[in-house]
Amino acid sequence: MKLTISRQNIYLLILSVVLLVFVLLFAFFALIPEGKNYRMERLEMKKHEANAAQYNQWHDAVLEELRTLQSHNKHIIAAYDNTFDAERFVKMNSPYFESLQLHKITPKEDEDGFSVYEVNATSKIDSPSSFYAFLEGINKSDWIINVNFPIRFEREGNVIRSTFTLNIYATLQEK
Amino acid sequence: MRYSFITPRPKKIVTPELKLVFFFFAMTLFILFATYGFLLYKSHQFSNEVTAINQRITDTNRSIVMMQKEIAMIKKSAAHFQNIATSNTVLKDSIKNLFDLVPERITLSKAVLEQNALILYGITPNKEVYEFLLQAPLRSIFHKTYSDFYPLENGWYRFVSTNYLDEEAL
Repeated sequence: MKLTISRQNIYLLILSVVLLVFVLLFAFFALIPEGKNYRMERLEMKKHEANAAQYNQWHDAVLEELRTLQSHNKHIIAAYDNTFDAERFVKMNSPYFESLQLHKITPKEDEDGFSVYEVNATSKIDSPSSFYAFLEGINKSDWIINVNFPIRFEREGNVIRSTFTLNIYATLQEK
Repeated sequence: MRYSFITPRPKKIVTPELKLVFFFFAMTLFILFATYGFLLYKSHQFSNEVTAINQRITDTNRSIVMMQKEIAMIKKSAAHFQNIATSNTVLKDSIKNLFDLVPERITLSKAVLEQNALILYGITPNKEVYEFLLQAPLRSIFHKTYSDFYPLENGWYRFVSTNYLDEEAL
């Protein structure tokens, strides 16, 4: 029995074999490595996305905390940001003060981050109750004020002359 | 004389069967290259996305650090304000208590409040009134109390009361 294959079929066979070899080589040396690389890149991206989502959650939590703090301490933040205005202070507290002198002092170690002013004030008050009212009002004023020692009360006729020191704190600007 | 029953047709190098085979080969190669191109493009895209995500994370982190600084500043300010407000309130109460402490029969002419000391100047009808009504409560508050008396022409006494708190005991 004689097997006869046409020349055309032989060419076709050779071409098929060449194609098969090419496909195999391409698959093993290009397609599969690139597929692995694709999978790794995708995995890496997913990891980064998860990481970014965590950062976003953290950011939202911190932002929420900041907003809550800002809303709860609105008066304090505004008071620290206000620049001390001696004229306005005198005007606001004119019922209490007779004279007022202001000068800046170096903050103590535990007061880092704040600037401190010292105010020497002399006032005439008819009775201690107006001084109490002044001390009560000082915590609600536009500035952060601390009444400091020494405090002197001296009787002059029917009025009391008082002399004391006020420390006025303000947030330092970014250096 | 005829050798075939059908009419001869021209022979072609590329037969329809071969065309079909070539078409399948071409399709195979196209799918291979398209897949490879797709993988290359997506890998590049993922790589770009990772860079963008990293940039976003860096920005978010910077924003978080700034907000945390602001939070720390607000907390520090609030704590500082609380200390000051408490100090002012305590001072007000101390002054109020001091004036409430002085009995009606004794008249104060001057009072000096210092961090750990209180100095009172005034007039008393006699030493006993001073000792029982003013010195006794002062002794219960302060660790050291000194009193000096100066007689006046009308029989009353001008007094200076100096009271100290021990810093170690505070």
